[in-house]
Amino acid sequence: MSFLSPEFAVFLALGALAFHFARGVCRRLVLLLLSYAFYLTWNPRAALLLLGITVAVYFVAGALEKLSSARKKLVLLLLSVAVLLLLLIFFKCAGLLARHYLTGGAGNALTDIIAPIGLSYYLFKLMGYLLDVYWEKIPVQRNFLSLALYPSFFPQIMSGPIQRAGDFFGQLAQLDNQLPDNIVIGLRRILFGLFKKVVVADHISGMVDAVHANPAGFSPLELLFGAYCFAFQIYADFSGVTDIAIGIGLLFGIKGPENFNLPFWARNIQEFWRRWHMSLTSWLTDYLFMPLRFSLRRFGEAGLCAAIFVTMIAVGVWHGPRMTYAVFGALNGLYMAVSALTLKKRNTWFQKRPLLAHVRMVAGPLLTFHLMVFALVIFRADTLHSACQYVTHLIPGLQSAGISTLRFDRGLLHTRQIALLLAALGFAAMEWVNWAGRQNTWTARFYSVPCFVRWAAYYILIILIACSAQETRTFIYAQF
Amino acid sequence: MTQLEIKQKLTDIFRNVFDNNAIEISDATTAADIEGWDSLTHVNLIVAVEKGFHVSFTTKEVMALQTAGDLMRLIASRAT
Repeated sequence: MSFLSPEFAVFLALGALAFHFARGVCRRLVLLLLSYAFYLTWNPRAALLLLGITVAVYFVAGALEKLSSARKKLVLLLLSVAVLLLLLIFFKCAGLLARHYLTGGAGNALTDIIAPIGLSYYLFKLMGYLLDVYWEKIPVQRNFLSLALYPSFFPQIMSGPIQRAGDFFGQLAQLDNQLPDNIVIGLRRILFGLFKKVVVADHISGMVDAVHANPAGFSPLELLFGAYCFAFQIYADFSGVTDIAIGIGLLFGIKGPENFNLPFWARNIQEFWRRWHMSLTSWLTDYLFMPLRFSLRRFGEAGLCAAIFVTMIAVGVWHGPRMTYAVFGALNGLYMAVSALTLKKRNTWFQKRPLLAHVRMVAGPLLTFHLMVFALVIFRADTLHSACQYVTHLIPGLQSAGISTLRFDRGLLHTRQIALLLAALGFAAMEWVNWAGRQNTWTARFYSVPCFVRWAAYYILIILIACSAQETRTFIYAQF
Repeated sequence: MTQLEIKQKLTDIFRNVFDNNAIEISDATTAADIEGWDSLTHVNLIVAVEKGFHVSFTTKEVMALQTAGDLMRLIASRAT
């Protein structure tokens, strides 16, 4: 059941009603039943796996607290995290490896293995929980109902965001003190998320699919346009599903973490990764980069670079066992290492040249944006070969004979002028709302306008979504 | 070392690591309060603290730190 299906709308309405009539422990029970019911619609066996892993984590966390020997605690932690990681690797890679290397019965059985939906998200949540318990950042969750809700919480299981255990359990304890405003804010957030997905992302997805299906058949201008469009598409798509997840969570009293903070305005690559897919990058920073960097601190800058590369490759391969994802991660590792090693010197250099510092304020975000557009071409490509083909054909002079550098054929790009216009205006509006929502003055202005003006804006959004809904596709990040 | 001495010396280390002589730290100071205190500079800070106070921390101890107060208490438990 997708967030975009009519069945989900009915499920959500009935679920929200049941939740609001329930009190105390029944609220958590309703949420757990809803979460498992939602997950069962994807695959009953996957729900059993989720339950089994949750039970195991429940007992491991209890044992981590009870064990008196520091060494035994560490061994138990490492073993349990390794098992969770192996599960993730097994489900993500089994089918792929079997298709390439195994034949016969075993090969056929493994080929059919598909990673359960949401596996990467809920395993990361549970690994983080175990590490937090081990580091004594949070107490063990003794209530099994609450622990079972954490990985299975249905608004977040499909595409995140990856909420931290301490934050989630803290809010779970306050479920009965739900603010009425949460429902209005939640519904508004869902509407905004649908707008980003349906009006912005889906209007350019066909063109992105077309240029990536056959890069050699397009001109450098068309490929450049396709590269920009994918950056806008993935941002609108992913931040859209995050808005929907946060909005649904709010209807049930849980505020999920933000995943984006105007990433395309970042002044450098480090800042970009602090603003893009924030729940994953902050997770990897806390649970992978920091321990690794600290362990390698004796090696100075070499240790720093090693920790950066491992973390960024992990960011890439978290999306799946594909070379394009690994190269995307490694390329970002390179960006990040160069940026981190030179940042202090660059800051000092610009401090002595105030005029150039103004240029830097514009050039920094522009350069960062284009570095990411380039990296996202590799991320989106089906294979590494296809990515190389895309990049080489982007350069004028290397394209196929007979294709003019400046050709822009909307027919070949599977797009219409109205779709491009809607996407462009929609993206500008979306980014303005993202920005204004972070300014106290604009938030105050929004609440001070007459109610009918706000409702008129909501109806415009609903009409735009309804008019665009025919071309709706699945969320990009649901596949990870 | 007294708590005041630890705080004074730690403030100097903060000012040096983050290149800002205006930094004042308190028990409640977190990374959000100091510009440039991110995951990359955090380890530089810990290394500077280890050198400055002649102590050594474990990964578990460092990962449990949430505020400058936690860091001061950790130093106090080690520094002689």
